Amino acid sequence: LDKKLPDNMLQAALAQNDPAAVVMIWERYASDLFAYLQAVLCSRHDAEDVLQTVFVRIVQKRHRLAKARHLDAYVYRIARNEAFSFISRRKREPNVETVNKSWLIAPEGHKEQNELAEQLQAVLALLPRPQREVIVMKIYRQKTFLEISRILGLSQNTVASRYRYGMEKLRILLGDTLS
Amino acid sequence: MNENDENKQIENILRKAHLPEPSIELKERITSVIKKVWNQSSQEIPWQIPVRRLITSTAAAVLIISIANFYSNQALESWHPGETQVTREQLPDFEILPDIHYRSFVRHPISSHRKSFTPDASALRNYVERMRKILNEKHQNVSPNGQVFDEGRSRLFPIQPGPDYYS
Repeated sequence: LDKKLPDNMLQAALAQNDPAAVVMIWERYASDLFAYLQAVLCSRHDAEDVLQTVFVRIVQKRHRLAKARHLDAYVYRIARNEAFSFISRRKREPNVETVNKSWLIAPEGHKEQNELAEQLQAVLALLPRPQREVIVMKIYRQKTFLEISRILGLSQNTVASRYRYGMEKLRILLGDTLS
Repeated sequence: MNENDENKQIENILRKAHLPEPSIELKERITSVIKKVWNQSSQEIPWQIPVRRLITSTAAAVLIISIANFYSNQALESWHPGETQVTREQLPDFEILPDIHYRSFVRHPISSHRKSFTPDASALRNYVERMRKILNEKHQNVSPNGQVFDEGRSRLFPIQPGPDYYS
Protein backbone atom coordinates (compact mmCIF):
# COMPACT_ATOMS: atom_id res chain seq x y z
CA LEU A 1 0.00 0.00 0.00
CA ASP A 2 1.16 3.44 -0.85
CA LYS A 3 2.01 5.58 2.18
CA LYS A 4 1.16 8.70 0.25
CA LEU A 5 -2.27 7.52 -0.72
CA PRO A 6 -4.36 10.57 -1.61
CA ASP A 7 -6.80 11.79 1.01
CA ASN A 8 -9.81 11.30 -1.24
CA MET A 9 -9.03 7.60 -1.83
CA LEU A 10 -8.64 6.96 1.86
CA GLN A 11 -11.81 8.91 2.61
CA ALA A 12 -13.69 6.96 -0.05
CA ALA A 13 -12.58 3.68 1.54
CA LEU A 14 -13.75 4.98 4.93
CA ALA A 15 -17.09 6.11 3.50
CA GLN A 16 -17.66 2.72 1.88
CA ASN A 17 -16.91 0.97 5.16
CA ASP A 18 -14.13 -0.93 3.44
CA PRO A 19 -12.13 -2.95 6.05
CA ALA A 20 -8.98 -2.41 3.96
CA ALA A 21 -9.12 1.20 5.13
CA VAL A 22 -7.82 0.03 8.53
CA VAL A 23 -4.49 -0.98 7.02
CA MET A 24 -4.44 2.13 4.85
CA ILE A 25 -4.88 4.35 7.87
CA TRP A 26 -2.11 2.53 9.71
CA GLU A 27 0.32 2.81 6.81
CA ARG A 28 -0.52 6.42 6.27
CA TYR A 29 -0.43 7.74 9.83
CA ALA A 30 1.25 5.32 12.24
CA SER A 31 4.83 6.62 11.98
CA ASP A 32 3.93 10.30 12.01
CA LEU A 33 1.48 9.94 14.88
CA PHE A 34 3.91 7.82 16.87
CA ALA A 35 6.61 10.47 16.48
CA TYR A 36 4.18 13.23 17.39
CA LEU A 37 2.94 11.38 20.47
CA GLN A 38 6.50 10.71 21.63
CA ALA A 39 7.26 14.40 21.25
CA VAL A 40 4.20 15.37 23.29
CA LEU A 41 4.49 12.68 25.97
CA CYS A 42 8.30 12.26 26.08
CA SER A 43 7.74 8.54 26.58
CA ARG A 44 7.79 5.68 24.08
CA HIS A 45 5.70 3.40 26.25
CA ASP A 46 2.98 6.01 26.81
CA ALA A 47 3.04 6.88 23.12
CA GLU A 48 2.35 3.22 22.26
CA ASP A 49 -0.66 3.14 24.58
CA VAL A 50 -2.05 6.42 23.30
CA LEU A 51 -1.44 5.42 19.67
CA GLN A 52 -3.77 2.47 20.16
CA THR A 53 -6.46 4.71 21.62
CA VAL A 54 -6.01 7.14 18.75
CA PHE A 55 -6.53 4.43 16.14
CA VAL A 56 -9.60 3.15 17.95
CA ARG A 57 -11.01 6.69 17.90
CA ILE A 58 -10.16 7.04 14.23
CA VAL A 59 -12.10 3.87 13.45
CA GLN A 60 -15.03 4.94 15.62
CA LYS A 61 -15.16 8.33 13.93
CA ARG A 62 -14.51 7.08 10.41
CA HIS A 63 -17.83 8.42 9.09
CA ARG A 64 -16.78 11.91 10.13
CA LEU A 65 -13.27 11.38 8.82
CA ALA A 66 -14.73 10.44 5.46
CA LYS A 67 -16.27 13.91 5.26
CA ALA A 68 -13.39 15.87 6.84
CA ARG A 69 -12.00 18.74 4.78
CA HIS A 70 -8.45 18.26 6.09
CA LEU A 71 -7.95 14.64 6.95
CA ASP A 72 -4.46 15.16 8.39
CA ALA A 73 -5.61 17.95 10.69
CA TYR A 74 -8.54 15.85 11.91
CA VAL A 75 -6.33 12.84 12.67
CA TYR A 76 -3.73 14.95 14.47
CA ARG A 77 -6.48 16.68 16.44
CA ILE A 78 -7.64 13.28 17.69
CA ALA A 79 -4.04 12.40 18.63
CA ARG A 80 -3.55 15.71 20.39
CA ASN A 81 -6.78 15.36 22.38
CA GLU A 82 -5.96 11.81 23.39
CA ALA A 83 -2.44 12.79 24.43
CA PHE A 84 -3.76 15.63 26.59
CA SER A 85 -6.38 13.36 28.14
CA PHE A 86 -3.63 10.90 28.94
CA ILE A 87 -1.50 13.63 30.53
CA SER A 88 -4.39 14.85 32.68
CA ARG A 89 -5.21 11.26 33.73
CA ARG A 90 -1.57 10.73 34.64
CA LYS A 91 -1.64 13.90 36.77
CA ARG A 92 -4.66 12.58 38.66
CA GLU A 93 -2.93 9.23 39.22
CA PRO A 94 0.67 10.10 40.11
CA ASN A 95 1.34 6.69 41.65
CA VAL A 96 1.09 4.81 38.36
CA GLU A 97 4.42 3.22 37.49
CA THR A 98 5.96 4.60 34.34
CA VAL A 99 8.13 2.56 31.99
CA ASN A 100 11.05 4.60 30.73
CA LYS A 101 11.98 3.42 27.28
CA SER A 102 14.19 5.76 25.30
CA TRP A 103 12.11 7.65 22.81
CA LEU A 104 15.11 9.03 21.00
CA ILE A 105 17.59 6.42 19.82
CA ALA A 106 20.96 6.37 18.12
CA PRO A 107 22.11 4.05 15.33
CA GLU A 108 23.08 0.70 16.84
CA GLY A 109 26.62 -0.09 17.94
CA HIS A 110 27.75 3.45 18.70
CA LYS A 111 28.22 3.96 22.43
CA GLU A 112 29.06 7.64 22.06
CA GLN A 113 26.00 8.23 19.95
CA ASN A 114 23.84 6.46 22.51
CA GLU A 115 25.04 8.91 25.11
CA LEU A 116 24.36 11.78 22.72
CA ALA A 117 20.86 10.45 22.05
CA GLU A 118 20.18 10.35 25.79
CA GLN A 119 21.48 13.88 26.16
CA LEU A 120 19.34 15.12 23.26
CA GLN A 121 16.30 13.38 24.72
CA ALA A 122 16.87 15.08 28.07
CA VAL A 123 17.40 18.47 26.40
CA LEU A 124 14.28 18.14 24.20
CA ALA A 125 12.24 17.17 27.25
CA LEU A 126 13.18 20.51 28.82
CA LEU A 127 11.60 22.48 25.97
CA PRO A 128 8.02 23.70 26.27
CA ARG A 129 5.66 21.24 24.59
CA PRO A 130 4.54 23.52 21.69
CA GLN A 131 8.15 24.17 20.70
CA ARG A 132 9.08 20.52 21.08
CA GLU A 133 6.17 19.45 18.85
CA VAL A 134 7.31 21.71 16.04
CA ILE A 135 11.00 20.81 16.30
CA VAL A 136 10.32 17.06 16.33
CA MET A 137 7.97 17.28 13.34
CA LYS A 138 10.37 19.48 11.42
CA ILE A 139 13.58 17.60 12.11
CA TYR A 140 12.52 14.00 12.63
CA ARG A 141 9.52 13.82 10.26
CA GLN A 142 10.82 16.30 7.65
CA LYS A 143 7.62 18.32 7.65
CA THR A 144 7.59 21.84 6.25
CA PHE A 145 6.26 24.80 8.22
CA LEU A 146 3.23 24.83 5.93
CA GLU A 147 2.46 21.17 6.64
CA ILE A 148 2.97 21.63 10.38
CA SER A 149 0.75 24.70 10.40
CA ARG A 150 -2.02 22.79 8.60
CA ILE A 151 -1.69 19.79 10.88
CA LEU A 152 -1.71 21.78 14.11
CA GLY A 153 -4.22 24.36 12.91
CA LEU A 154 -1.81 27.25 13.44
CA SER A 155 -0.47 30.01 11.23
CA GLN A 156 2.89 29.50 9.54
CA ASN A 157 4.31 32.47 11.43
CA THR A 158 3.37 30.90 14.77
CA VAL A 159 4.96 27.63 13.78
CA ALA A 160 8.13 29.39 12.56
CA SER A 161 8.42 31.47 15.73
CA ARG A 162 7.92 28.38 17.92
CA TYR A 163 10.69 26.69 15.98
CA ARG A 164 12.98 29.70 16.34
CA TYR A 165 12.40 30.05 20.09
CA GLY A 166 12.92 26.32 20.52
CA MET A 167 16.20 26.45 18.63
CA GLU A 168 17.38 29.38 20.75
CA LYS A 169 16.73 27.37 23.90
CA LEU A 170 18.46 24.33 22.44
CA ARG A 171 21.48 26.51 21.60
CA ILE A 172 21.74 27.48 25.25
CA LEU A 173 21.09 23.96 26.55
CA LEU A 174 23.53 22.33 24.12
CA GLY A 175 26.21 24.97 24.69
CA ASP A 176 29.04 22.56 25.47
CA THR A 177 28.10 20.05 22.78
CA LEU A 178 28.04 22.76 20.12
CA SER A 179 31.44 24.12 21.01
CA MET B 1 28.66 32.21 13.14
CA ASN B 2 25.23 33.56 12.34
CA GLU B 3 21.88 32.27 13.59
CA ASN B 4 21.15 30.14 10.51
CA ASP B 5 24.48 28.36 10.73
CA GLU B 6 23.93 27.69 14.41
CA ASN B 7 20.45 26.34 13.68
CA LYS B 8 21.86 24.05 11.00
CA GLN B 9 24.49 22.83 13.42
CA ILE B 10 21.81 22.07 16.04
CA GLU B 11 19.68 20.32 13.43
CA ASN B 12 22.68 18.17 12.43
CA ILE B 13 23.29 17.22 16.04
CA LEU B 14 19.61 16.37 16.54
CA ARG B 15 19.62 14.22 13.40
CA LYS B 16 22.36 12.02 14.86
CA ALA B 17 19.55 10.41 16.82
CA HIS B 18 16.16 9.38 15.49
CA LEU B 19 12.70 8.54 16.68
CA PRO B 20 11.82 4.83 16.70
CA GLU B 21 9.17 3.61 14.28
CA PRO B 22 6.23 1.62 15.63
CA SER B 23 7.34 -1.97 16.11
CA ILE B 24 5.78 -4.91 14.25
CA GLU B 25 4.31 -6.21 17.52
CA LEU B 26 2.69 -2.84 18.12
CA LYS B 27 1.30 -2.83 14.59
CA GLU B 28 -0.18 -6.31 15.01
CA ARG B 29 -1.64 -5.45 18.40
CA ILE B 30 -3.24 -2.22 17.24
CA THR B 31 -4.52 -3.50 13.89
CA SER B 32 -6.19 -6.46 15.58
CA VAL B 33 -7.85 -4.14 18.10
CA ILE B 34 -9.06 -1.71 15.47
CA LYS B 35 -10.37 -4.50 13.26
CA LYS B 36 -12.53 -5.65 16.15
CA VAL B 37 -13.75 -2.10 16.72
CA TRP B 38 -14.40 -1.73 12.99
CA ASN B 39 -16.51 -4.89 12.87
CA GLN B 40 -18.46 -3.92 15.98
CA SER B 41 -19.21 -0.44 14.72
CA SER B 42 -19.96 -1.60 11.16
CA GLN B 43 -23.25 -3.05 12.36
CA GLU B 44 -24.32 0.43 13.27
CA ILE B 45 -25.82 2.35 10.36
CA PRO B 46 -24.61 5.97 10.12
CA TRP B 47 -28.08 7.53 10.35
CA GLN B 48 -28.61 5.76 13.66
CA ILE B 49 -25.93 7.85 15.32
CA PRO B 50 -27.79 11.23 15.27
CA VAL B 51 -31.07 9.48 16.13
CA ARG B 52 -29.45 7.81 19.09
CA ARG B 53 -28.00 11.13 20.22
CA LEU B 54 -31.39 12.78 19.90
CA ILE B 55 -33.01 10.07 21.99
CA THR B 56 -30.28 10.30 24.59
CA SER B 57 -30.54 14.09 24.85
CA THR B 58 -34.35 13.92 25.06
CA ALA B 59 -34.14 11.33 27.83
CA ALA B 60 -31.61 13.50 29.66
CA ALA B 61 -33.88 16.56 29.34
CA VAL B 62 -36.90 14.60 30.64
CA LEU B 63 -34.85 13.32 33.55
CA ILE B 64 -33.64 16.80 34.48
CA ILE B 65 -37.16 18.24 34.32
CA SER B 66 -38.57 15.35 36.40
CA ILE B 67 -35.90 15.84 39.06
CA ALA B 68 -36.58 19.59 39.12
CA ASN B 69 -40.33 18.96 39.50
CA PHE B 70 -39.77 16.41 42.22
CA TYR B 71 -37.64 18.76 44.31
CA SER B 72 -40.03 21.63 43.65
CA ASN B 73 -42.96 19.54 44.94
CA GLN B 74 -40.96 18.49 47.96
CA ALA B 75 -40.11 22.09 48.75
CA LEU B 76 -43.77 23.12 48.47
CA GLU B 77 -44.89 20.27 50.73
CA SER B 78 -42.53 21.32 53.48
CA TRP B 79 -43.65 24.95 53.26
CA HIS B 80 -46.55 25.88 55.62
CA PRO B 81 -48.20 29.21 55.07
CA GLY B 82 -49.43 31.18 58.10
CA GLU B 83 -53.03 30.70 59.23
CA THR B 84 -55.31 32.55 56.95
CA GLN B 85 -58.35 34.34 58.35
CA VAL B 86 -61.42 33.69 56.39
CA THR B 87 -64.08 36.36 56.65
CA ARG B 88 -67.41 36.13 55.05
CA GLU B 89 -68.84 39.23 53.60
CA GLN B 90 -72.52 39.31 53.21
CA LEU B 91 -73.33 40.99 50.02
CA PRO B 92 -76.07 43.55 50.38
CA ASP B 93 -79.26 42.50 48.84
CA PHE B 94 -79.73 44.99 46.13
CA GLU B 95 -82.97 43.47 45.10
CA ILE B 96 -84.58 45.14 48.08
CA LEU B 97 -83.90 48.66 47.09
CA PRO B 98 -85.96 51.51 48.41
CA ASP B 99 -88.74 52.40 46.18
CA ILE B 100 -87.26 55.27 44.37
CA HIS B 101 -88.10 56.65 41.02
CA TYR B 102 -84.58 56.14 39.58
CA ARG B 103 -84.48 52.53 40.76
CA SER B 104 -84.33 51.12 37.26
CA PHE B 105 -81.24 53.22 36.51
CA VAL B 106 -79.48 52.19 39.68
CA ARG B 107 -80.13 48.51 39.44
CA HIS B 108 -78.36 48.05 36.16
CA PRO B 109 -74.93 49.40 37.21
CA ILE B 110 -75.22 47.61 40.53
CA SER B 111 -75.95 44.28 38.92
CA SER B 112 -73.22 44.70 36.31
CA HIS B 113 -70.57 45.64 38.91
CA ARG B 114 -71.77 43.33 41.60
CA LYS B 115 -68.76 41.06 41.43
CA SER B 116 -66.15 43.76 41.29
CA PHE B 117 -67.77 46.11 43.76
CA THR B 118 -68.35 44.46 47.13
CA PRO B 119 -68.81 46.92 49.96
CA ASP B 120 -67.10 46.06 53.19
CA ALA B 121 -70.11 45.34 55.37
CA SER B 122 -68.21 45.05 58.63
CA ALA B 123 -66.43 48.37 58.10
CA LEU B 124 -69.75 50.00 57.27
CA ARG B 125 -71.31 48.50 60.36
CA ASN B 126 -68.45 49.76 62.51
CA TYR B 127 -68.72 53.18 61.00
CA VAL B 128 -72.46 53.35 61.65
CA GLU B 129 -71.93 52.11 65.17
CA ARG B 130 -69.31 54.75 65.83
CA MET B 131 -71.47 57.49 64.41
CA ARG B 132 -74.38 56.35 66.52
CA LYS B 133 -72.25 56.47 69.63
CA ILE B 134 -71.04 59.98 68.82
CA LEU B 135 -74.56 61.12 68.24
CA ASN B 136 -75.73 59.60 71.48
CA GLU B 137 -73.00 61.36 73.38
CA LYS B 138 -73.84 64.60 71.74
CA HIS B 139 -77.51 64.24 72.49
CA GLN B 140 -76.80 63.65 76.14
CA ASN B 141 -74.62 66.72 76.32
CA VAL B 142 -75.98 70.16 76.90
CA SER B 143 -75.79 72.55 74.00
CA PRO B 144 -73.47 75.59 74.35
CA ASN B 145 -76.40 78.00 74.83
CA GLY B 146 -77.90 75.89 77.60
CA GLN B 147 -80.34 73.92 75.53
CA VAL B 148 -80.53 70.17 75.88
CA PHE B 149 -80.89 68.02 72.79
CA ASP B 150 -83.74 65.60 72.88
CA GLU B 151 -83.03 61.95 72.37
CA GLY B 152 -83.48 60.92 68.78
CA ARG B 153 -83.39 64.39 67.31
CA SER B 154 -80.70 65.60 65.02
CA ARG B 155 -78.52 68.37 66.30
CA LEU B 156 -78.68 69.90 62.84
CA PHE B 157 -82.24 70.96 63.53
CA PRO B 158 -82.54 73.33 66.39
CA ILE B 159 -85.34 72.97 68.89
CA GLN B 160 -88.50 74.49 67.70
CA PRO B 161 -88.61 77.95 69.26
CA GLY B 162 -91.62 78.84 71.34
CA PRO B 163 -94.12 81.56 70.46
CA ASP B 164 -92.23 84.12 72.50
CA TYR B 165 -88.86 83.21 70.95
CA TYR B 166 -88.73 86.15 68.59
CA SER B 167 -90.25 88.64 70.98
